[in-house]
Amino acid sequence: MLSLDNVQVSIEGVRVLRNVSCRIEERKTTVLIGRNGAGKTTTLRAIMGLLPLDGGAIRLDDDDLVKSPAHHRAQAGIGYAPEDRRLVAELSVEENIRLPALALKLNKIETKRRLDEVYALLPQLHTMRERPGGGVSGGQGKMVALGRALMVARKVLLLDEPFQGLAPALALDYARTLGELRKHRPELALLITESSPALLDKIADRTLQIERGEILAKPTET
Amino acid sequence: MSNTVIPLLLDSLASAALIFFAAVGLTLVFSVLRVLNVAHGSLYSIGAYVAASICLFIASRQLSPYLSFVALLFSAVFVAAILGPLIERTLIRWTYGKSEAVQILITFGLFLMLEDLQRMVFGVQSLYEDAPVRLLGTSQIGGVVYLNYQIFLIGMAVLVVIGLRMLIRHTRLGRLITAVVADREMAQSIGIDTNRIFILAFSLGVFLAALGGALAMPTSGVAPGLGADTMVLAFAVAAIGGLGQIEGAAVAALIVGLARVLAIYFVPSLDAVAPYAAMLVVLLIRPYGLFGAVTARRI
Repeated sequence: MLSLDNVQVSIEGVRVLRNVSCRIEERKTTVLIGRNGAGKTTTLRAIMGLLPLDGGAIRLDDDDLVKSPAHHRAQAGIGYAPEDRRLVAELSVEENIRLPALALKLNKIETKRRLDEVYALLPQLHTMRERPGGGVSGGQGKMVALGRALMVARKVLLLDEPFQGLAPALALDYARTLGELRKHRPELALLITESSPALLDKIADRTLQIERGEILAKPTET
Repeated sequence: MSNTVIPLLLDSLASAALIFFAAVGLTLVFSVLRVLNVAHGSLYSIGAYVAASICLFIASRQLSPYLSFVALLFSAVFVAAILGPLIERTLIRWTYGKSEAVQILITFGLFLMLEDLQRMVFGVQSLYEDAPVRLLGTSQIGGVVYLNYQIFLIGMAVLVVIGLRMLIRHTRLGRLITAVVADREMAQSIGIDTNRIFILAFSLGVFLAALGGALAMPTSGVAPGLGADTMVLAFAVAAIGGLGQIEGAAVAALIVGLARVLAIYFVPSLDAVAPYAAMLVVLLIRPYGLFGAVTARRI
């Protein structure tokens, strides 16, 4: 279980997260809803250790994540798919997906196992595996970024606005994939941010609201 | 005509090889760390000083002159292993993400310190030991007598280009470097220890600079001021090739080498100006250098 306690973050001297506390539980899909600028992306980046905390604590099970450098998140099994894809243009789609395996020094068998898992869930990645990362469309790129995050995610998967900028057909596809993912990988704790709850109604177990850097009231259980 | 063409080409290649060694480390460090290291030339001259000291020691003890070749390589490894991690951890790391002006000021400060440090350690007289050059002898090509050492230099430069390409494209470390160059945050998120990559890449840059200095020492010696001269030349070459482009630096070195040799052959007084004239022409046509990608400024 991933827990945030009174997390406070500033960017360039401006307080962006005032007081974020929440629990992301395993086997549950938690959706974080908020307007642009409410602090959704900042929350995810704080979890990934990409921003220094002004205060508060972030724990995975009983480990204090704040003390360890950013790259330890991946070792701890937290996968992250940023909103803007961030693929390496010079590498092929498959090389992009394999990058975490190289970084984490996974052995061949484990790499193959995780890669097969990704391809089983996202067969369209297998068809375009040889295309350069710089040559896929925005929507396809989101799928690649999801595949890359899945290579890392053993415990927690963070998806930042996965539907942002997706064509309606692709968005539907992506939502279906997330449903499949729940079945294939029931143990995962999923945290998905979105600006509107509509697309995630069916898959959300819990919905949190973030506004001006604070998580509102009690989570709604569905 | 062919009597001048072959020596002209060989001279250009030999000159390009040395110019390439001066610039390649600078451009590599810039591509990975996004820091323009103004002290790069000092690392080149430190490599030359260390190589000269060891080669002079070998000569004074009348040890096997073949050892001086080992000494050239050893000097570069030695300088890189000590100064690479030390400079990156104590100075360069504080400049990541800071403005270019800050980075240039800090590395310029480092340049001043390293220049004085060299005067303290190695004195102000010039050092020179050409055992490696004498050892390889000469050969006749197209009726002109050539130092085999020059041909050795060309071979070394080709080896470095191929080696770096293999490293970047075909090794685990190369993949991780590519990921860090593309996007640091993403690289950290997928588990790459970017600090480790920065130390390694910076040390590799120091190694290439020191190797350049060490390899140049037997032909031209080393004296105070070499660091500054090398820095300016390295910057011109890196700018022509496109900052951060390794293959670009190789092509740029060929262009500058050719420009220099043409000047020496036909208008000797323009020798020193030739590299910068070449830079001016290239940058007028391609402001980001030959291989530099046009990138939108972030914010």
